[in-house]
Amino acid sequence: MKSKSIKGKSTEEIKQALENCLADGFTPTIAIVFISVKQNRKAICELMDSKNIEVFGATSCGEFINGHQTEGEIAIILLELAKEHYTILFETMEDGNMDKAIYKLANNALKQFTNPSIIVCGPGINQNGEHFEGEKLVKSLEKQLGADKLFFGGMAGDDWALKETFVFTNTQESNYGIVALALNGDKISLNGMAVTGWKPMGIARTVTKSDGKFLYEIDGKSAVDLYLKYLGKADKITEKNFKIFEDLAIEYPFLVERDTNETVIKSPTKIDHTTNALFMDNPMPEGTKFWFTQPPEFDIVEEVIEKAAQLKNDLDTEAEALLIFSCGGRKPILGPFVTDENEGLAKLWNTPMAGFFTYGEFGRVLNGRQNFHGGACCWVTLKENV
Amino acid sequence: MNQHLQHIQNFIENLDLLSKEDKVTLLKSLKSADKDLLISEFKLERTEKVKRTTAILLEETIEELKQKRKAVEDSNDALQKSLQELKATQSQLIQSEKMASLGELTAGIAHEIQNPLNFVNNFSEVSKELLEEMLEELQNGDMEEVNAIAQDVIQNLEKINHHGKRADGIVKGMLQHSRSSSGVKELTDINVLVDEYLRLAYHGLRAKDKSFNAALETHLDESIGKIEIVPQDFGRVVLNLITNAFYAVNEKKKTQTEAYEPKVTVETKKQKDTIEISVKDNGYGIPKKVLDKIFQPFFTTKPTGQGTGLGLSLSYDIIKSHSGIIHVKTEENQGTEFIISLPTKSNR
Repeated sequence: MKSKSIKGKSTEEIKQALENCLADGFTPTIAIVFISVKQNRKAICELMDSKNIEVFGATSCGEFINGHQTEGEIAIILLELAKEHYTILFETMEDGNMDKAIYKLANNALKQFTNPSIIVCGPGINQNGEHFEGEKLVKSLEKQLGADKLFFGGMAGDDWALKETFVFTNTQESNYGIVALALNGDKISLNGMAVTGWKPMGIARTVTKSDGKFLYEIDGKSAVDLYLKYLGKADKITEKNFKIFEDLAIEYPFLVERDTNETVIKSPTKIDHTTNALFMDNPMPEGTKFWFTQPPEFDIVEEVIEKAAQLKNDLDTEAEALLIFSCGGRKPILGPFVTDENEGLAKLWNTPMAGFFTYGEFGRVLNGRQNFHGGACCWVTLKENV
Repeated sequence: MNQHLQHIQNFIENLDLLSKEDKVTLLKSLKSADKDLLISEFKLERTEKVKRTTAILLEETIEELKQKRKAVEDSNDALQKSLQELKATQSQLIQSEKMASLGELTAGIAHEIQNPLNFVNNFSEVSKELLEEMLEELQNGDMEEVNAIAQDVIQNLEKINHHGKRADGIVKGMLQHSRSSSGVKELTDINVLVDEYLRLAYHGLRAKDKSFNAALETHLDESIGKIEIVPQDFGRVVLNLITNAFYAVNEKKKTQTEAYEPKVTVETKKQKDTIEISVKDNGYGIPKKVLDKIFQPFFTTKPTGQGTGLGLSLSYDIIKSHSGIIHVKTEENQGTEFIISLPTKSNR
């Protein structure tokens, strides 16, 4: 499988970059497009249509390819893959029934291939303008596909506007849908890993009162008071306009214990002053054990690369394309190091790469099960088996 | 770009003295320095920010833990106080239980004391008559007869002394039963102890309820010999089991025809490394639903006021403190058997 990645500030630049790519006889069949909501998605799809290239697309919160990291622009990886080895699936969830959409999508993938592996993107924001519960999508997709099936991906972004995100193909687009690139797992190998780097800080905490995404009490104390006071923002407790997600939670989310000895990052997205509750991106049921966190240290980049190198060495394999779904929160936390992280992975695998900054990631930690992640660098390589 | 570096860059770009290649090299180094500076600034800013926040969180957490420790210490103090109160109440209850069992014994003890007292009274009356007779013989000058009478009086006084000591022993035993246990193990003849408590319990119950009657059967293995036990404590166990057995057969008797013959069997047996003491009745048996509760403190099936619910619980604890075990066999309508198994001395 051949692949090339291109980037551009506009459709024109992409058109030019595409022409340059095709000049040597490269005939891609798929374009994986990560694009800012500010860009013209339709024009990009039409451009790809004109070259008989099928589109798998998601809006981004910053996007990158080898050597270039941008915000508000377009990053694409083009794959030259035989049509019989893949299919692009799309389902809308606009009727509010996520399970039905996932059931259809998974069934279509299983009809096409006995052992499908999937690259999947979902919405970052739900129909109420809240963070989409990626955890539910992963659980549902795992249930429909089977626990042994691999899937990697991320939740679409909108350059931190936190209003509306999109996934799309050449012919379909939705602000509340799922797009999937289903691959024949027997022909195309996926290898990847999710790493977060957030570390627990202080003592283990327990949710003592919550309801859905509303978190009222931690260890019997007001969750709002505890969270803000302990992170040095006690003066913001009564401030109605305090942007808790952008100004605090993105750096200091909760590290939540979950099954199979794994943890997941969950973040307060706003304060509900009426009920004095933290409104979370994903529910934290009563009894949930969690910790306050410390952001990843700068050596997380080395850790991500080392783990990837170890996997590469253990599998004794190469890659023909690399996709990276990196949490949008890593950009402000790791600053220039996030570029080193993405570039380091591309350099390690020595392959064309594209990725975007997401509102949530889907993948597996090393030796872990299929899970939803937050704050993670989730990467996956593609390689055609010969 | 950093404004000072920008200034240097502009200077280099406008400097005619340098070759194009040198300019490119210098500008490349400058850009690299700018990147390094940017990274350093970012690292410094982030580290400072994280350090500040971490310090606040840890200070708050330490303060919270201090408060929690204080709360735990306060709770601990309160618990200690409650524990002391509980222990005091428990010892009061245990004392009540002892007094209750003493009550059960009182009539039996009275019965047991009555016998030696009768002897004392009878022999002292006889001795008085003999001494009066002796005075007469002294006046008659029949020294041979005086001597014979004096021998009889001495024998009588020995008997009085013997029965006086017997009564004294019973009273001492009663006092021992009501006193707190010394906890000191003594070589004790289990058969004697069992027999004594069986009789005391039986006569005690008979004194309270004239209609009570039961066949008593004992099979005491003489080869047991003496074993080391705390006699007051162990006597309490035996008394409790026998009293329960009497209660069980008496309850059944109340609802049965005359064909039913209440029977309590006490048996001691030497096994290889243990001795067994069993108390068996032919009452109604213990219902299955309460069988696992009978050794719990305060559990009783007796009507309110008739049982403290501590008898079997205390018995269990006493047997345990003797490194022994107690188990129960029961069958509906057939009866119950409590079997105590005590290790012999060498085995403890």
